[in-house]
Amino acid sequence: MMEVDVAVIGSGPAGLTAAIHAHKGGARKVLLLEREEELGGILRQCIHNGFGLEQFKQDYTGPEYAERLIRELEKTGVQCFLNTLVTDLSSDRVIAALSPEHGALEIKAKSIVLAMGCRERTRPSIGIPGTRPAGIFTAGVAQRFVNIDGYLPGKKIVILGSGDIGLIMARRLTLEGARVIGVYEIMTYPGGLKRNVVQCLNDFDIPLHLSHTVTEIRGKERVEGVVVSKVDSNLRPMPGTEQLIQCDTLLLSVGLIPENELSKKAGIELGAATKGPITTEIMETSVAGIFTCGNVSTVFDLVDYVAQTGAAAGTAAALYASGSLSTNRHPVDVIAGENVRLLFPQRYSFQDDLVLFIRAAEPVEKPVIIEVAPPGSKINRLYARPNEMLRVKVPREKLAEVKQPITVSIREK
Amino acid sequence: MAAEKKHFVCVVCPVGCEIDVVHDGGKIISMEGNKCEKSEEFVLQELIEPMRILTTTIRIDGSRWPVIPVRTDKAVPKRLFPLMMRRLRRAKLQAPVNMLDVVARDVLHTGANIIATRTVRRE
Repeated sequence: MMEVDVAVIGSGPAGLTAAIHAHKGGARKVLLLEREEELGGILRQCIHNGFGLEQFKQDYTGPEYAERLIRELEKTGVQCFLNTLVTDLSSDRVIAALSPEHGALEIKAKSIVLAMGCRERTRPSIGIPGTRPAGIFTAGVAQRFVNIDGYLPGKKIVILGSGDIGLIMARRLTLEGARVIGVYEIMTYPGGLKRNVVQCLNDFDIPLHLSHTVTEIRGKERVEGVVVSKVDSNLRPMPGTEQLIQCDTLLLSVGLIPENELSKKAGIELGAATKGPITTEIMETSVAGIFTCGNVSTVFDLVDYVAQTGAAAGTAAALYASGSLSTNRHPVDVIAGENVRLLFPQRYSFQDDLVLFIRAAEPVEKPVIIEVAPPGSKINRLYARPNEMLRVKVPREKLAEVKQPITVSIREK
Repeated sequence: MAAEKKHFVCVVCPVGCEIDVVHDGGKIISMEGNKCEKSEEFVLQELIEPMRILTTTIRIDGSRWPVIPVRTDKAVPKRLFPLMMRRLRRAKLQAPVNMLDVVARDVLHTGANIIATRTVRRE
């Protein structure tokens, strides 16, 4: 059996940053496992700009952001196994993996960082009635086809859902000569960031239809059209509002789910709201010595947030591997209060500042106060939108005396 | 030019202020809805000539992948995007290419170069 200090599973922005920080944190033997043939994860196909504005003060494209991290990683001497698929993970930190080069591997790690990212929701997860022709893709799959494999997936395109990848693909496909007829969103507000609605739809005169969904897919061999309907306030399609739109392709941008098959095998406790491991402020899961970061933990809006959790996870994993992490880290719960749909992390273990990522349940387009109690910290923000995560920091000193669960609420000012 | 009303969403920062502007073509007469002054420069540029970075791919030979991601090295007029895309569709590069290598100079006399956004080895 191979033995390492820190094993990192996944080499997207979270895993790369975690591996770099595990090395910086003093771990001598760090191993990075990646199932694709190159490092970089999903950044490889995100060729648009807007990455790293916060972290590097640079407007990078995805591949540039990845390459910058990869170059930094190469200087560390961290070992990388490519084409290596992790098939099993146990709670005593033994990894089983397969690779053409290394065969069947068993790796015992002193600590592990999970950085497997997330997966797209598909047609079965939202249940659209109709036939099953070719021409239905998730937005991310279409993105890979266009940006890496050089194929155009269709010419007349309808996009269901207004997540960021769907918006980015509306622009990308338009530039490549396809006609994007419209983006249909079931909610009353867009799923993606406002700046993406402006730069990807408005800039190209692509209409966004809120409170609409696809209620039928038509076509035998290939998609021939979709039926869209207006939805009522309970998100139910309203009879009589059906409209047939002729198209050859339907893209789905209907949400992302953290990919936690391995976490489940290790018996890691998952959160109902985030669908990722229940995590402390140092990114430790419910299984001691297994840490998590990036979109496998909860789906983040910005790569900067992903990298930030990667740095925290890598640093803590190095401390754990060398036995220098305090054993006195019994956590208190962090609970979602008024107008909070999702909260990350969900526990506080008194090792570091508490950096909270918060998603509002309902939009508030006026100044809000985010209350973290105890200790009773109040933080001002200009607005709270469900599609834009709020990030707030409560310093460690303020939390030292906390004994009971911490509640986080968003209130109008 | 007579005064005209126009609506903008500022994209300078993530707040995304909704701004109503009265302008006369090249000058802002009045502005409402912006929470800071940074919007002013943005709106003025939008009135004169909206500028954006173009990101796309170009075909490449001798690489593991048939295309390589590229971008303009500075913002270019948005209205030139279709023409620029047509020009780049005909281009073909040869691996190896390094990240930030200039692969086309001064496209459409904009003063902007097209640069590669990743490194591609020769296979």
